[in-house]
Amino acid sequence: MTARMVPHSRVDEFVARLMEAAEVIAPRRVEGGDVFYGPISSPAEVAWDYGTAVEPLKRLLVPQRETVLRFSVNEGIHVAAEMDERERVFLGVRCCDVTGVTVFDALYGGDIPDPYYMSRRQRSILIALTCQQPPNDTCFCVCCEAGPFLTKGYDQQWTSLPDGMLVEIGSDRGLTLARAHDDLLLPAEPDHLAARYRLAREAETKFSDFRSYIAAAMRKLTMNEVLPEVWEQAADRCLECGGCTFLCPTCSCFTVTDRWEGPQGLRERHWDACLFRCYAREASGHNPRAELGDRMHARFFHKISHQWAQRNGRQACVGCGRCVMTCLGWAHTPAVTEGIRRGVIP
Amino acid sequence: MKNPYLPELATIQRVKPETYDTTTFTLRLDDPQARAAFHHRPGQFIELSVFGIGEAPFCIASSAHGRDTFDISVRKVGRVTAALHDMREGGQVGIRGPLGNWFPFEEVEGKHILFVGGGIGLFPLRPQIQEVCRARDRFASITVLYGARTPRDLVYRDELEQWRHQEGMVCLLTVDVGEDGWTGRVGVVGSLLPEVRFDVSRGVAFVCGPPIMIRFVTQDLLNMGFAEDAIITTLERHMRCGIGKCNHCMIGDKWVCKDGPVFTYRQMKAMMEFEE
Amino acid sequence: MAEIATVCPFCGCGCGLYVHTRDGHAIGVSPSRSHSISQGRLCLKGWHAHELTDNPRRLTQPLLRRNGQLVEVSWEEAIAAASRGLGEIAQCSGPRAIGVLGSARCTNEDNYVLVRFTRGTLRTPNLDCSLNIQCLPELSPQHRGIGLAASSGQIADLDQSDFILVVGDDPTEEHPAIAARLYRARLRGAHIVTASLRRHTLARLADVHLALRPGQEARVIGSLLHVLLVEEGMAREAAAELAALRASVADLSPEDTQAETGVPAETLRRVAQLYLSSQQVAILYSTGLALSPVSAPAVQALTSLAALSPPAVGARVVLLSLLSRNNLQGCRDMGVAPEFLPGYGQLNDDAAVQRLAQAWQCELARERGLRAWEMLGRVEGMYVMGDDVIRSLPDMARTRAALEGLKFLVVQDIFLSPAASLAHVVLPAAAFAERDGTSTSLERRVQLIRRAVSPPGQAREDWRIIADLSGAMGQPFPYRNARQIFEEIADLLPIYAGVFYASLEVHGGIRWPTLEAREAQPGSLSSGVTDAAEALTRAAARDTKMKASEQYPLLLTADPTLRPWDGEVTVCQALTLWEEFTVVDRDYPGGMLCLHPEDARRGGLRGGRDARVASTKGERQMRVRVSDEVPEGIAILPYAQAAGSGLMEVSAHPDTGRPVLMPTPVSVAPVQ
Repeated sequence: MTARMVPHSRVDEFVARLMEAAEVIAPRRVEGGDVFYGPISSPAEVAWDYGTAVEPLKRLLVPQRETVLRFSVNEGIHVAAEMDERERVFLGVRCCDVTGVTVFDALYGGDIPDPYYMSRRQRSILIALTCQQPPNDTCFCVCCEAGPFLTKGYDQQWTSLPDGMLVEIGSDRGLTLARAHDDLLLPAEPDHLAARYRLAREAETKFSDFRSYIAAAMRKLTMNEVLPEVWEQAADRCLECGGCTFLCPTCSCFTVTDRWEGPQGLRERHWDACLFRCYAREASGHNPRAELGDRMHARFFHKISHQWAQRNGRQACVGCGRCVMTCLGWAHTPAVTEGIRRGVIP
Repeated sequence: MKNPYLPELATIQRVKPETYDTTTFTLRLDDPQARAAFHHRPGQFIELSVFGIGEAPFCIASSAHGRDTFDISVRKVGRVTAALHDMREGGQVGIRGPLGNWFPFEEVEGKHILFVGGGIGLFPLRPQIQEVCRARDRFASITVLYGARTPRDLVYRDELEQWRHQEGMVCLLTVDVGEDGWTGRVGVVGSLLPEVRFDVSRGVAFVCGPPIMIRFVTQDLLNMGFAEDAIITTLERHMRCGIGKCNHCMIGDKWVCKDGPVFTYRQMKAMMEFEE
Repeated sequence: MAEIATVCPFCGCGCGLYVHTRDGHAIGVSPSRSHSISQGRLCLKGWHAHELTDNPRRLTQPLLRRNGQLVEVSWEEAIAAASRGLGEIAQCSGPRAIGVLGSARCTNEDNYVLVRFTRGTLRTPNLDCSLNIQCLPELSPQHRGIGLAASSGQIADLDQSDFILVVGDDPTEEHPAIAARLYRARLRGAHIVTASLRRHTLARLADVHLALRPGQEARVIGSLLHVLLVEEGMAREAAAELAALRASVADLSPEDTQAETGVPAETLRRVAQLYLSSQQVAILYSTGLALSPVSAPAVQALTSLAALSPPAVGARVVLLSLLSRNNLQGCRDMGVAPEFLPGYGQLNDDAAVQRLAQAWQCELARERGLRAWEMLGRVEGMYVMGDDVIRSLPDMARTRAALEGLKFLVVQDIFLSPAASLAHVVLPAAAFAERDGTSTSLERRVQLIRRAVSPPGQAREDWRIIADLSGAMGQPFPYRNARQIFEEIADLLPIYAGVFYASLEVHGGIRWPTLEAREAQPGSLSSGVTDAAEALTRAAARDTKMKASEQYPLLLTADPTLRPWDGEVTVCQALTLWEEFTVVDRDYPGGMLCLHPEDARRGGLRGGRDARVASTKGERQMRVRVSDEVPEGIAILPYAQAAGSGLMEVSAHPDTGRPVLMPTPVSVAPVQ
């Protein structure tokens, strides 16, 4: 599919048109100065120059707290579920976060699709925004095949060039969207595409300072050759806050609670983390991963083992670097990866 | 799209206490279409909702043959099970399932079938025992070894009596600790293994019980010469969805609810690096 | 969908976070990256702050006790009943028969209005917050050592510190945002020295860990001063001022300390060397010290250490008092204490009293009042706002009995707390994210709390409830909103001078004192140093060794830094958070008794097995946890479990009179 260009002077117009047909979710600054992906009320709100959003798209596809069932008692029990059916466009999403959605598609889709996720996902158009330099000093997408430019996983991928936004088409949905607004778009010249590939190569070299050498750690983890002390060290450096899990674009665990409110009741699901002590604890009190070190081992097996990657299409980690930013101790992915490789975590 | 989280309603038909802390509930799905579509095999489980309290996984403890109801046997350990224990005939619950994989059956025809159960580990084995017994002539032999902590902890007593006296099968019982009035064997269930008389190279063992019991019995079975693929167990884990989404039951890259709960010893070995 | 910037309601760090709302419900929380304290991080509790809302256990209706049961009533009835009950006691027995407890987890506005209600409307001086038991005398205005009744530095100072001493705190459990700074400080080469009862997680990663056995804190720290002042001749130019201090530590040589405490002499000297070679020193201390029987001298010795800068040119020392709760600092700033006025004004300062009386249009109770633990058994009626008095005081059974024995008890809270379930009137309050206001963190940072969703049912802001009650009792308050109350606070309290609402509206707020207020508060170093010298001398003269015996060979010690949030009402009623904060109770029924591996081996005890623990006061079955973080010869229980065990001796602290849980000799035997 041929790429297109949106001149910079017409980007706002394009966004305004998107807003007419759907809820547009884009990076925007909130009071306090942080950038979150969220619904915009005008094209001017889009923070095109942002680094990374505080959170990935997760909260918009699987809320931290969500009602999944409602039940009531009226001559027997009645149970019902509601789906979110809003049409949405996710605009200006960093490639690491787009890759996170690819992983979520595998986890929440598959042979038993999760209808709450699919209802949102199927009504979402995903527009990536490439990174031409590392947006912050903790990114390492280059170690994870998750950026700074993608070759798949998006409906459209936008790259900012001097003449305008280059729009690469990645799916039928992306193509349909482009065709619908063809009057605003120009064909992309060979120069534009050449510039895009050059920028991608240059960007990768700029990221090279932040290599996390995940591949080497993956080998050791997969072959079960990690020194046991490494998990003890990881446990000493983890404060079990759950931050890495909650902010990770590929962490998807949840727990479920029921409650009554008079004659109405509801079942909610909430974000959960495998690091928590109660995560695998059974009602009988038996806890197969009572030691934090064991839980850290399980967590990193999910994130960067070959076995897990084989099952789910790719490795879980996308190198967004949020775990580095949010870790209260020093037990984030790059730290533990270093520990796995070298036998000691700093 | 079908919503795999939406329970079907079921009504409790019968409540039968087994011991001081375990009770068998016979359930019947309310909706006839759901009932007709509910094809379950031994080893599988369901997620049961006590609405407003919560949901928990329970293995299906009965064979489907000739019934439009099914049994679950429940020990009272937590909030959901305590609430369930307070319910009576006519009470309504939610059911999702059948979930998980199942015990091999056709694949083990012609073999000597050994069941080793400990305590409430007999719950998931019961449907398999029932079906294997029903097709007795398709198997070389049937042996059931069952042990509980004390005589008061023995479950399915009526059936145990039946199996003990049944032609064409051997059923031996033991308790870890005897009590006044108990005239049977005393010792862990593994102590019954020397009674096994068949050619283990043609044997398949189904083992279920507390984690420690599984560990020791599988070791004994390996020592006896059972192949790693011929030792089959069913694992229990904390679950929140039963369909491989919440990930609580994961061990390594395996979901106990999807890849299990039935596993061979060979599969379990690979998973055990992650646990104590 | 919106993101409302606000502040975490749990510990004293004051992390910034966003509450996500949708359709009027709080559906999640994110850390604030731009906030100078959170820096994109939150602990487990902060991540679940939204679970206080849409929570079926919240109090939503006023409750009145009728025929022994609490039944739902209207606000009119509840206020009338509260007014009547308190009024009757005041009439028959005088206002001093009433005691009031304020809150370390409510806002400044709530506490300020409560103080006005207590001293002005009820006219009783018996006003306290139960968590003040964690606050040492050095935080009272009497302590003139550093000129401020609080931390001398701020959390950001840790980023420049090359020597950090952490005394009596386990930051990974109590102050995670500070733990985050310490982990990073360590990686950039700063020296971390921990001094505590347990060899906790941070202690394992520290350069030096000083094991503080019960009753030895002052001795060990005094010995450090000995090395600095006597051996190294530090601060010789301040000889006159420091003469008393030097004299008080003259006999505390490291060798003698090693013989007494087991802390190696060379370790103390190493710590002194690290201290002397630093450009910026940070000293952090918290409740672990406060609740020890020998605490006051230890902390006073610490503050005198702060007065002694390292000899390097331009070097600096900062003190951080690690308060446990989000608004314990603010609660004290507002005057929730029996010994000072709002803003730490002295009770005998006529001008200060007059200023308040004028602003409040009434006479004030200005005598010295009773502390929380002194109120028990001595007042007939109590008003408790957002305070977990049963949990905070060292003898739970006694506290509960005293509350049950009250003629009249009003409790105002967000959940049916243990105290609330004993009350005659229960008033439902609005929680975090349901109201506007301010709170003040442990580094004196005043920040805005923002309303994101509506309170449930009939619940209201605490200050509004009190204003209504005061009106029913004849003293109406003119407050319409939280901002108005804060502007009055900033106007009346010199320490909050210059804290304008505009500066609070900036993410991260502002620390008091602002520049203007600083000029009004001259500090005096030498007086603090003299206090420390006197205290140390007294401590050294006192026999502080708690002795075990053959019959009771282990010393059972309450540790307030071990799992301090277990059992606390706001985490234990949260929808999913409760699991992590009750798992220890479920895994260790009866109590989590922590033993050193050698002591366990000698006693035939194993981790995960039950044991019978006996002291002269009683017996109790608990479950054993074996850990090398425990010193040999000591058995450790989390503080709240110890307070509820009935095994420990509770004594009045010799210097301060506060009740403390004394390390108690016990026997521990396996249960078959």
